[in-house]
Amino acid sequence: MFAKLLNPILKLLRSESGGTTPSTGTIADASDVALLESVAAGQQQAMATLFDRYGGMVYSVALRVLNDTGRAEDLMQEVFLQLWREPGKFSSGKGSLGAWLAVVARNRAVDVLRGRKPSDPVDEVILTSKMDLSVEIERGLLMEKVRAVMKELPAEQQRSLELAFFEGLTHAEIAQQTGDPLGTVKTRIRSALGSLRKAVEA
Amino acid sequence: MTEQQHTAQEELALFALQALPKAEQDAVRAHVAECSVCREELARLQGDVALLALSVEQHPLPAGARERLLERIANQPQSASNVVHIESGKTAKKIYSSVSWSLAAALLIFSVGSLLKVGQLNMKIQQQAEQLKQQEQDTAQATRALDVLTAKNAQHITLTSAQAHPEPEGRAVYLASTGGLIFQASHLDPLPADKTYELWVIPADGKAPIPAGLFKPDATGSASVVLPQIPVGVRAKAFGVTMEAAQGSKTPTLPILLAGAAGE
Ligand SMILES: [Zn+2]
Repeated sequence: MFAKLLNPILKLLRSESGGTTPSTGTIADASDVALLESVAAGQQQAMATLFDRYGGMVYSVALRVLNDTGRAEDLMQEVFLQLWREPGKFSSGKGSLGAWLAVVARNRAVDVLRGRKPSDPVDEVILTSKMDLSVEIERGLLMEKVRAVMKELPAEQQRSLELAFFEGLTHAEIAQQTGDPLGTVKTRIRSALGSLRKAVEA
Repeated sequence: MTEQQHTAQEELALFALQALPKAEQDAVRAHVAECSVCREELARLQGDVALLALSVEQHPLPAGARERLLERIANQPQSASNVVHIESGKTAKKIYSSVSWSLAAALLIFSVGSLLKVGQLNMKIQQQAEQLKQQEQDTAQATRALDVLTAKNAQHITLTSAQAHPEPEGRAVYLASTGGLIFQASHLDPLPADKTYELWVIPADGKAPIPAGLFKPDATGSASVVLPQIPVGVRAKAFGVTMEAAQGSKTPTLPILLAGAAGE
């Protein structure tokens, strides 16, 4: 019934095609670079838009590592406050703010998890990515793809990779935890990353 | 280490993951600072590693997180040197020799390595974006058409309110082969407390509409459904949005609030 009801609408659409007006640009459509420039100029609305774009991703990465909603939010707030205070520390000329934020969030979260001082000052981060994660659709598609690949990895490869990336363990610590020789752990991680790369290329 | 003896790929991978003990990490950093071959390989590996950050399950933000951030921002002075700049090669070189090289490298991500590697994916994404544009237009038109079709019942919509608010709209991208669906909507009307919006996939084979996620608009009227659990391989004729009781429904309740054909 639903489909039947839809048919006349779809027909109408087809007969009318070409008659649409282009959508007008809003701040929600602005590029990351444009938004960062606005942030640098002190515009809070631009910051809000960046948060709407990447807040969920940053939070989800932090939550995955810290497994604590309160600490994950604290970390997310810190990452965005840093961006607000010093937007120039992200060199936007070359790429993806989203990837930058995700990796910064991961590294910070692992530092927190392991009780370390921040290991890498954010101000010397360079990013040359051309991957546009600013569009949710694209981000979603890539996430979906990566997730599918991860699921298909042999369990022990997946485990080693996750221990390293999300728990911040060294290869020796991973070996200890899994009871495997160091060399095996190294090989696994290398193979897992290789599979990930190959699948994303495909 | 010298340039004659390159760092093993496995070591570089661990370095990218920050999974080496301090001493080895320093050794790799020192070599990579001097060796462009290993630097390039590392950049590729960093690209792979960065993908991991995208693999995490996406969670909704805690309630009020946005407001808390904006409040803090309103009370936070920015630093004086807020210049968004493009890094030059010179700056980059300085960074190679600095302590934070690993993070710098970690963020040389997608381009050097994956730009080439991910080129194909980018092309697909571009195609998706084009489809999306078409679907966006279709959805906008569908919304308009629906407004006409439902005018008799739409007593609560006055002419002034229709002009004062932008029309609701949604856009969807769908990959039947993986059952992947991403939907975004904006300018949605606020919901009564006991209601939710629900997204539907209308299969091309005429079978019953498939529920594809519940969503509620935020304060700005925006909402999204990212990768709901739906069967894989369903060819879609169209997508629709209805309003349902708070717990959702197994079959759509009319009227269709938003609809769009799955363009091919
Ligand atoms: Zn080398």
